[in-house]
Amino acid sequence: MTIATRRTILKGGLALAALPVLPGLAFGQEKLKVGFAYLAVPGDFGWTYAHDQGANDLAKALGDKVEVTKVENVGEAGPNVERVLRELAQQGHKLIFATTFGHMEAAVKVSAEFPDVIFEHCTGYMTGPNLGTYNARFYEGRAVIGTIAGHMSKKGVAGYIASFPIPEVVMGMNAFVIAARKVNPAFVLKAAYLSTWFDPAKEGAQAQAFIDQGCDFITQHTDSPAPVELCERLGVPCFGQASDMSAFGPTQCLTSIVDNWGPHYIKTAEAVIAGTWAPAQPWDGLKDGGLVITPYNATVPADVQAAADVVKNGQIDGSFHIFTGPLKDKDGAEFVAAGVTPDDGFLLGMQTYVEGIEVIQ
Amino acid sequence: MTIEFAIAIIFAIVLVASPILLAGLGELVVEKAGVLNLGVEGMMLIGAVTGFAVTSSFGSPWLGTLAAAMAGATASMIFGFLTLTLAANQVATGLALTIFGGGFSALAGKAFLGKTVPAFTQLFPSPLATDPIWRVVFGYSPLVYFSLAMCIGVAWFLKSTRAGLILRAVGENDLSAHSIGYSVTGVRYAAVAFGGAMAGIAGSMFSLVLTPIWAEGLTAGRGWIALALVVFAAWKPYRLLVGAYLFGAVMTLEVHAKAAGGVFSALPSELWAALPYLMTIIVLVIISLRRSGNSVAPACLGKPFLPTI
Amino acid sequence: MQLRLEKRAQPSRTMLYAAPILAVLLTMVVGAILFSVIGYDGIGAVLEIFTRPLTNPLKWQDLGVKAAPLIIIGVGLSIAYRANVWNIGAEGQYVAGALGGTAVALLTMKMQGPWILPAMILFGILAGMALAAIPAFLKTQFDVNEILTTLMLNYAVVQLLYFLLRTVWKDPMGFSFPKTPLFTASQSLPYLWPGTILHWGVPIALLVAVLAWFVMSRSVFGFQVRVVGSAPHAARYGGFSAKRAIWLVMLVSGGLAGLAGVLEAAGPFRQLVPAFPTGYGFTAIIVAFLGRLNPLGVVIAGIVLAISYVGGEVAQTTMGLPSAATGIFQGMLLFFLLAGDVLVRYRVRAVSTRASGETA
Repeated sequence: MTIATRRTILKGGLALAALPVLPGLAFGQEKLKVGFAYLAVPGDFGWTYAHDQGANDLAKALGDKVEVTKVENVGEAGPNVERVLRELAQQGHKLIFATTFGHMEAAVKVSAEFPDVIFEHCTGYMTGPNLGTYNARFYEGRAVIGTIAGHMSKKGVAGYIASFPIPEVVMGMNAFVIAARKVNPAFVLKAAYLSTWFDPAKEGAQAQAFIDQGCDFITQHTDSPAPVELCERLGVPCFGQASDMSAFGPTQCLTSIVDNWGPHYIKTAEAVIAGTWAPAQPWDGLKDGGLVITPYNATVPADVQAAADVVKNGQIDGSFHIFTGPLKDKDGAEFVAAGVTPDDGFLLGMQTYVEGIEVIQ
Repeated sequence: MTIEFAIAIIFAIVLVASPILLAGLGELVVEKAGVLNLGVEGMMLIGAVTGFAVTSSFGSPWLGTLAAAMAGATASMIFGFLTLTLAANQVATGLALTIFGGGFSALAGKAFLGKTVPAFTQLFPSPLATDPIWRVVFGYSPLVYFSLAMCIGVAWFLKSTRAGLILRAVGENDLSAHSIGYSVTGVRYAAVAFGGAMAGIAGSMFSLVLTPIWAEGLTAGRGWIALALVVFAAWKPYRLLVGAYLFGAVMTLEVHAKAAGGVFSALPSELWAALPYLMTIIVLVIISLRRSGNSVAPACLGKPFLPTI
Repeated sequence: MQLRLEKRAQPSRTMLYAAPILAVLLTMVVGAILFSVIGYDGIGAVLEIFTRPLTNPLKWQDLGVKAAPLIIIGVGLSIAYRANVWNIGAEGQYVAGALGGTAVALLTMKMQGPWILPAMILFGILAGMALAAIPAFLKTQFDVNEILTTLMLNYAVVQLLYFLLRTVWKDPMGFSFPKTPLFTASQSLPYLWPGTILHWGVPIALLVAVLAWFVMSRSVFGFQVRVVGSAPHAARYGGFSAKRAIWLVMLVSGGLAGLAGVLEAAGPFRQLVPAFPTGYGFTAIIVAFLGRLNPLGVVIAGIVLAISYVGGEVAQTTMGLPSAATGIFQGMLLFFLLAGDVLVRYRVRAVSTRASGETA
């Protein structure tokens, strides 16, 4: 395996998908044991919670055809990840999901040791004969909530609580501000990186700081519901991340972008049982149900709901793409030329901020 | 900078400072009695989960805080029994309590993930508490005023009461205190229980006031800051108050620096995060330099007491 | 009626060895009860955690890999604690060791040669020592309590790690993710046998323990450390410098923690990531105590703690026990051990309250 950049791999297409298919399990009466390695605990109400929901959907949908095992708190990287993946393989799990970007190197290594076990790795870019990846187009959801913020924000200043400056996060931030500026060209997004996915106190404090500095909308790319809970108390509109956070913000959480892994987990397990699984790199959007926009809060005016739906439906039917040019980067240079819609490789390697973002590392 | 913004910052500082002030006051009393309990973080987590669970179940944050205090005190009794009755090593026992508290709170809190709790009602009437200017005096959670009252109370207790004098004597010279007829172990048990209760309340302030949700590891290491704070304050309650607000300011500036940009964001956020710990070390050195060899730490700190009769 | 402790004339040899075993057994019993009460199969959970890693040969290498850093750090701490120097900054020194080794690795990315790995290890040890030198200096020069300074430095070093990974050490090919590039073959700790995950850190850990045992029990240095720790006055008469002893044990414990850090970075991790600090430095404190501050005991204790980690993961995969269970078991283990410890040095005797009142 060579470590190519994400972009070249994606540009190279999915040639790996043509590799021979592994022997199926269809003839056996044996249950398919499916293992999940979780970054944190389902109680984060964010990333791991969403994967846990997906795992539950899988168990529910396929009933006694599968047996689902979850390992919590595997962490973002390191020998723990390897040990847990190996442990799952040794326990007879034939399909193993490694659910965060940092699990990639471990998944590559362990999948090579267990050629008869199928591994799938979430948000990564390296594949192998028995290793696929999967991801969802979260930026499509960001475009929808950016549209809502653009319409409803009086000051035109929003705060974005971010985790790490990886392409996934940069892409989401860009999609949000591009969408908002289509409505309000003066819209500004302040972004702060917390260097953590989950620290409720820090996320809450950052949200408070943004609000104190005049942001009248809060959105987050970290996993805890603390910012939503705070916004509810302060009466500042916000958006839920990864899971439906409306319980924490009944009046202020305008909608949530829900990571919906269930369909992919069910599809993959069915393919493994049928013996038709092949390594692939699916990147499901709103259209395929990879993510779901929860019903808008009643406080969102009807015309704004309609505008948000235009963006949502345009992305579903393929008529609208948030990154279609012309786009300028934050220093005013051309980022995407007029009329051009960048390919997926471009998106997955995104490290440039677009116009309207004030980012503080 | 507008006055409203300045007030918002002060408000944020007071909020983040109060739990470390509470936990710090508890640990200060414990250490004044000659005991070093490194289990603050564990007791805070136990308090945080208990406070949240009780408030969520019964709807009263006051009841939740009371339960958190009791839970913290109960947890501290494990530490007390091991270190005071069985004379176990205090450092190791305190660490064990922190490890145990982390695991226990995570397990106990499973049922309460994703729930919300009712907030404390304002102590002061609404025009005062919600006024954009006057909220800086009247608008805080009752636990903030409680932490200030406790600071005055602890300072008065240690300085002006007979019981406080005995407690300090036990911490400075346990053998003499014992020979005069005071129960060294009894006094220390009481101090440890007080420290546990305060840590429990501090924990509940996280789960009920600062970020009113339950999540594993909610206190995120603030218990260690409280320990640093006690040393930083040279075991003096009022200095502890100043120190807590200073640490709170550093923590608040960290997030505001990011939001405001400019000169603050020029310094890396990691430096802000490390600053309370580095400041504590520097203060430790300054204290020692000034006292030239004569430490201000309670003389018996961390040493087991076993009268040989 | 109350319980009264009486000092034994001689520490009980029987209890010295019985107490840790008793502690493990009690943890298993109470753990089983506790988890049964809250609705899990308690006995099954305890068996999974404590026996599965031992009965399943596939898990032995996991135990070795997990125990190695705990043993190396624990040995260093046991020496420091013997001298009554309370270094609880091993976590920071462990991270510092990884930082030292990684600094060398990042400078030698384009180079090859058998000298690179030893250079990394050397710098790792030196970095651990350098960090430990700060509390040693403050303790010997200004009499600043080392418990507090070592504890504070842990957090400062972790922030330094975050800073370096976010800025200058970031992998240029890593999509801005805060991590270093993967180490090259010359920078990685080789495996003992191909196809296993056992790396050279495991025999190094055993070697460190045996060497330390020999030094502590047979050399003048070991004798001095023990005398300084147990009888500081006698040490002064004997002409041993307490300051020198503090410096030595801080450097040894810091250096060993640094060694563990660089071995972990060059071995199982093969890169530096924000998730690198996993609390080994704190767990090693339990290991040092469980091992009775004896380097050979530390080996056994390291394996016991490794069992609790590996077994905790096994119990998650086989019976859905939450990850929090590991912390509860480790905390209880230490509680019972510390409680049992008292039996080594003291006899517990019941005395009537009145009698104790009279003697007071």
